[in-house]
Amino acid sequence: MNETNVVVVGATSAVAQAAIRLWAQRGHTLTLVARNAAELERIAADARVRGSPQVTTLTGDLTERKFIAESIRSTNAPRIALIAYGSLTDSARADTDVDYLADELQANFVSAALWAQLLADRMAANNAAGGSIAVISSVAGDRGRGSNHAYGAAKAGLTAFCSGLRARMATRRVHVVTVKPGFIDSPMTAHIAKKGALWATPDAVAAGIVSAIDKKRDVVYLPGFWRLIMLIITHIPERIFKRLKI
Amino acid sequence: MGRTYDIVNPISLDQPWGRGFNAAHTHAFADDKPLLARNFLPRGLGRSYGDVCVNDGGTLLHTFRRDRLLAFDDVHGVLTCEAGASLADIAQVMLPHGWFLPVVPGTRYVTVGGAIANDVHGKNHHVAGAFGRFVKSCSLYRSDWQSAQTVAPADAMFPSVIGGLGLSGLMNEASIQLKPVPGPGIMQETKLFGGDGRIDDCLALDEQSSAWEYTVGWIDTLDRGLRGVFFRGKHADGPDEWLAPNAARLTMPMDAPRWALGRWSAKAFNAAYYRAQSMRTATRETIPLWQFFFPLDAVNAWNRAYGKRGFIQYQFVVPTVAARETVPRILAHLREANVASYLAVIKTFGDLASPGLMSFPMPGTTVALDIPAPNSLDLRALDRADAMVADVGGRVYPAKDARMSAAMFQRFFPQWRALEATRDPAISSSFWRRVTTSQDTLE
Repeated sequence: MNETNVVVVGATSAVAQAAIRLWAQRGHTLTLVARNAAELERIAADARVRGSPQVTTLTGDLTERKFIAESIRSTNAPRIALIAYGSLTDSARADTDVDYLADELQANFVSAALWAQLLADRMAANNAAGGSIAVISSVAGDRGRGSNHAYGAAKAGLTAFCSGLRARMATRRVHVVTVKPGFIDSPMTAHIAKKGALWATPDAVAAGIVSAIDKKRDVVYLPGFWRLIMLIITHIPERIFKRLKI
Repeated sequence: MGRTYDIVNPISLDQPWGRGFNAAHTHAFADDKPLLARNFLPRGLGRSYGDVCVNDGGTLLHTFRRDRLLAFDDVHGVLTCEAGASLADIAQVMLPHGWFLPVVPGTRYVTVGGAIANDVHGKNHHVAGAFGRFVKSCSLYRSDWQSAQTVAPADAMFPSVIGGLGLSGLMNEASIQLKPVPGPGIMQETKLFGGDGRIDDCLALDEQSSAWEYTVGWIDTLDRGLRGVFFRGKHADGPDEWLAPNAARLTMPMDAPRWALGRWSAKAFNAAYYRAQSMRTATRETIPLWQFFFPLDAVNAWNRAYGKRGFIQYQFVVPTVAARETVPRILAHLREANVASYLAVIKTFGDLASPGLMSFPMPGTTVALDIPAPNSLDLRALDRADAMVADVGGRVYPAKDARMSAAMFQRFFPQWRALEATRDPAISSSFWRRVTTSQDTLE
């Protein structure tokens, strides 16, 4: 079990850091990928102290095709992967700034799909062992909403891509789990004293991801009640939905 | 345990742990390039009872996300971590490897930065001294420095950092000395004392317990006889299940109503507690160390038990020569003034000096009382108690204070001007403004 190598793409995100701690405690080796080298080194050090026998760091632009390919080529047989980065697109800016919109779609959909595809191929090639890939999509991908059309669309694409990839990989021993978190308590929301029940901590979401991988789940909403909320939201007739300010 | 937002003062970031009032803050998060250019106060998990963790009208710079453990030297037991790492997290990661914190206060939900800034003490003060004695070095950001600098015990700045109430800079990292332990248990002995209105029995138990690493007493200050329960403990091995604290945590779901918080409730509670202790069959047992050190941490947001109006904690220390006579006198004074108090704690400090300029402990006896929603009569009684403490050369603990006068503070800590001289000009706290501005100049 200790030979398990875990690749975390977007390792500096709060959810990724919490998941890394859980895997480090289990004694897994880690390959951590992120853009901010200084933060990444601190996260790697933390994982070592917590019990990971070997931590490798890769720094670069996660959305860049060449970096994605080279990172995966240089990684020791990955058994578990978590794709955890994303950018919460500002819809108002996307309305007027086409370059920004293109970059956001590239980051949230295209590049994440590339990581998933190449990691899955790499795991399948290693076919005796296979592997598991968790991709963080979002409840926002279940239906396009006026308040975040660009982000929602990219996540919808990612959700569909993962669903198809899961089917393609089903006979090749690679398990793909689509993770759909709701609102996550980010550092900047932590001071809002009464956040209400919809907000989940990064710890709770990370624990849900690690458990979904262990149990080979296909699609998980985190926390689980979001499945019900989204069931309702996806069944509102479009004629009404388009007028809702959500 | 990872990103522990739920252990950040779960009620409000604008209140101290004792609650009672709301401050107006802007909030910011310490990151790798913290902004230090304005009136701010570093804050960890907000467990200080009073306004040392409050900066009304200014910014709180939160450090609880800077909680990475950076290196552990398993030969010498030295841990380097970010200052926002909690003692809870460190204990849980290190205990399976046979290491524990050298000093722990009554809650594990404090950051390393907070433990250093308040130079916290624990049940082993008589043999170990305060937390600051185990700081090998730390690094600070200051608004008047270009970049983070390392401060070691030999440096001039070091005494201002230990017990410096966070005023000497934003702590980035710290290296602390851990200690080896045989396992996750504590072998505990319990003995009843008092009943004669004196604390001599308790002090005698302290003297007989020099071979015990941890000693503490619980004392019923509402009882004329000053009855109490003495606990002493030493590290012991235990089953692996004890390596982590019990996951099933209770949460205090609501604020306790006012009627539950009066003097008669306190009397009834204290009497029930004493009876429960005196009826226990085992006076010697091995228990999980979590239970020995942090009984209140088992209840999330336990400060709600004191109701919306909160509570204050009054902790004073008086020097050894005066303790036998002065402690019962102060407690009798508070009792006669009808000050309600739950769960008062009594502890004899040792003579190991801390490197901190403003450290609270001194050789002598300390008592900490929880007082729910103090009214003006309670506050006046506490002012008189302050004077009794000052008259024998004692002091009151800033980390728990929300009410002492500037004049008293300056009498307790004449060295405060040295801290003021090294304070980062961009850092301040409600506490510091309160106790360093005399009443005459207040507008």
